[in-house]
Amino acid sequence: MTSKRYCGIARPRQNWVTTIAQGATVLVTLSFCCLSPAMAETHGYVISWFATATYNLNPQESCPNNRNGGRTEEYTRELRAIGYSEQQASAIMATQGGVLDPKYQRRYYMRGRVNGKPVSIYNYPESVPDPNIQTVTGKYAYGFDLGGNPSSKFEDPDTHEKIDNQLWRAVGCSHSFDTVPPAQPYFEDLTWALMVDTAPGWSMQISGDDLSKDGKVTVTLDLLTQHLKRDAAGNVLAGATYVIDPRLRSHSVLEGQINNGILTITKPGNIYLEGEMPFYSEIALRDTHMRVSIKPSGTLAGYWGGYLDWSRFVYMYTARADINGEDVVGLYWALKKMADSDPDPNSGQNRYISATWRMEALPAYLANSDGKIVAVPVNVPDNVNAAAAAAANK
Amino acid sequence: MALAVTAVASAAAPSTAGPSSVRISPSQYRQSIADIFGRSIAITGRFEPETRTQGLLAIGAARVSVTDSGLERYDELARGIATQVVDAEHRATLVPCSPHSAQGSDDECARTFLTSVGRLLYRRPLTEEEVQDEVRAAGETANKAHDFYAGLSAVLADMLISPNFLYRYEFVEPDPAHAGQVRLDAYSKASALSFFLWNTTPDKILLDAAQSGQLQTTQGLRRQVDRLVSSPRVEQGVRAFFSDMLGFSDFETLSKDPSFFPRYTLPVKDQSQEQTLRTIVDELVTRHGDYRDLFTTPHTFLTTSLAALYRVPLADTTDNGQPDHWFPYSYPPGDLRAGILSEASFTALYSPSGRTSPTGRGKALRETILCEAVPPPPGNVDFKFIEDTSNPEFKTARQRLTAHRSQPMCAGCHKLTDPIGLALENFDSSGGYRTTENGVPIDATGELNGHQFVGSQGLAKAVHDDPATTSCVATKAFAFETGYLPAVSDPQWRQIMDKFAASHYNFLELMRQIALSDLTYRVPSSALSAANH
Repeated sequence: MTSKRYCGIARPRQNWVTTIAQGATVLVTLSFCCLSPAMAETHGYVISWFATATYNLNPQESCPNNRNGGRTEEYTRELRAIGYSEQQASAIMATQGGVLDPKYQRRYYMRGRVNGKPVSIYNYPESVPDPNIQTVTGKYAYGFDLGGNPSSKFEDPDTHEKIDNQLWRAVGCSHSFDTVPPAQPYFEDLTWALMVDTAPGWSMQISGDDLSKDGKVTVTLDLLTQHLKRDAAGNVLAGATYVIDPRLRSHSVLEGQINNGILTITKPGNIYLEGEMPFYSEIALRDTHMRVSIKPSGTLAGYWGGYLDWSRFVYMYTARADINGEDVVGLYWALKKMADSDPDPNSGQNRYISATWRMEALPAYLANSDGKIVAVPVNVPDNVNAAAAAAANK
Repeated sequence: MALAVTAVASAAAPSTAGPSSVRISPSQYRQSIADIFGRSIAITGRFEPETRTQGLLAIGAARVSVTDSGLERYDELARGIATQVVDAEHRATLVPCSPHSAQGSDDECARTFLTSVGRLLYRRPLTEEEVQDEVRAAGETANKAHDFYAGLSAVLADMLISPNFLYRYEFVEPDPAHAGQVRLDAYSKASALSFFLWNTTPDKILLDAAQSGQLQTTQGLRRQVDRLVSSPRVEQGVRAFFSDMLGFSDFETLSKDPSFFPRYTLPVKDQSQEQTLRTIVDELVTRHGDYRDLFTTPHTFLTTSLAALYRVPLADTTDNGQPDHWFPYSYPPGDLRAGILSEASFTALYSPSGRTSPTGRGKALRETILCEAVPPPPGNVDFKFIEDTSNPEFKTARQRLTAHRSQPMCAGCHKLTDPIGLALENFDSSGGYRTTENGVPIDATGELNGHQFVGSQGLAKAVHDDPATTSCVATKAFAFETGYLPAVSDPQWRQIMDKFAASHYNFLELMRQIALSDLTYRVPSSALSAANH
């Protein structure tokens, strides 16, 4: 390992993103000329909830004995790593009020060594040994069959199909991911709230000849020019109008179909949505699949899955250092080990990992940058709390 | 010699109407301070609550005193303003002279400042006795504090809690044209004009016209009224009047259940008032339109938040992170959302927190827009049918009210209100647009004074065509100016109404005619005798 290699990981590979974006652009061009003009109606949505698709209904089955523990166990391990005995570490933790004093944390994260010099383990995660955090050994996870290794398949609890979701295998035993919707994983929950109020949102359009019937559709994803609005209950506001960012970088079009109220993708392709740190800096998937329920209330809820660049995913964590006492270096190593696609021609290390997100969307008007309405909301709920609707959708 | 008349005439008995003392409203207070000292002076604190009488705060303002707690609030406001006016940031521009020493008194500079500011605050020249008292007080404080500006600040604060500032006193003087009678003096007339047309204290030009006596001549009065009405600042007067007439002060206590009405956010609550005021200013001031068209106009102004409430598309193409912008918006012909009665400033304001009230909306329309009285409900009325919106037998407000009207004691008054309010049922308690209630399509048929119609547009046309609509706004505008309702049989009132009609119900022309009419400044002999006693 070289420091150059570490830097390459800590600062994600732009060239892959560009490739995905370019792929999406090409697809867009094709789709625009071939699909959109024939579509008789287009429904607009904004993504109102988005997070790693967790599945922790039976933690003992997913992560027997919870070897990773929680925040206290992790901080205790960190104290051990900087030279304290088990007894000393426990005594220190008893005085910390649940959060490790920065003076200890600094010693912990500056314990990396590159060319003999101290470095942050978050900038250089491979400067310290793999802590071998516990990873998911259970049977279930949400996801899609991406054609991955049969020996590492999960079973999707909804479809009971064999699916690929190695990202969940890597992170699912970490306490920050021990959540069940509507709660998001700890860090995504914190940063999503920030993104909603500050960063431009994401939109989704579904176009088809007659969206009240089963049939072929076109799914279009875009970045918006403005952040989402909140309603009086603090949820994302349904029925508002948003303007689509005209830049093609965050414009993806996929072919799909609706069957019995379920939207799926028939020709998996690449998607790219620009995000903003500290939430995802991007949503970049290859071989994108979707399984999204179109609810009677007009809302959407479901899953997006495919392959993502694991180094870009983990950057969201390494860039933050201490997150709720999570073993970020452990996550790094787990993701690296579980990566299951796109081997580097030189090292053989897989650069992509199968993953699935859970998402929800609310009806919205969508306009282009000239203000022209290009998609309309379907059935904005009358007097219905978006949260209540979302709960009813589950 | 001018006499201050503080005896207040009863609004219910216009024959005894006359000069009075009128407490300036919070918006008049704010605007006055902004005009006198500039907008950089922050006004922080709360005001004494206002009192609505006969549908207007302006009538209530002629009948209110200041409570002990209210005085404390005014004192807090006054000290905050006075401190800022003389602070290092503002004194160079707001104090027209420099003291010989900033560490002590300077009577000459204090006199210059207090005389100038006092004329604007009291809306008349200070008497020499008042000036001497204030200069002496400023000097004593300055010498004690070793700070000239502390002296100015203390006296300015006292002036700001003086009744001479907080109240608009009306003074009378002998009327040279009618022996034995009195009339408002010129400064009182200047204040009345300025607060009516601009919602603020008289400017220097108006005070000069009062001082020179021009305001007491027909030509001089006309010149000043025309100047005020043609100024863009007349928008302030129009806004103040309609805010009062439409009961916007009640928004302070209005709330909606966010679990039922998530689109009714705090910004939407504020913006709904602004939407209606912008619609009114556009129609009446910018377009010089017919007052009646307010009820049918398709033209309004929206933010993206309001558009979401009304379920109409509105794209804001500005950059991320901007506050809500206002956009002109026109509904297509026949759209139910056109006209100010369909706006949330009406439909939400006159609805309870969790459901609509066709009765409340109908009552509000009769009282606010048509000036018709609706009796209050009897004390022992049973609201069980109305309040239970989950009763599967009565899914809509129409069904619940029909059941409620089966109680004989309720039927009579509900005939006056419900057929109006039911036409607005396409708007939920928050003003949001809807087509169903509990899954049942809305039936928005209604009736007003024998005219039957369907939906808010039918109601809007009926209100537009009802003669009471124009007479109501005229009487309320007069009361907003004078503090009492006019006697509609008075020939001078008939003249005002005739000219209003002849102008095709141009509201600015109505304001102009009220401002020019002798009726507005008439002082009955009973008021003079009251003053002499």
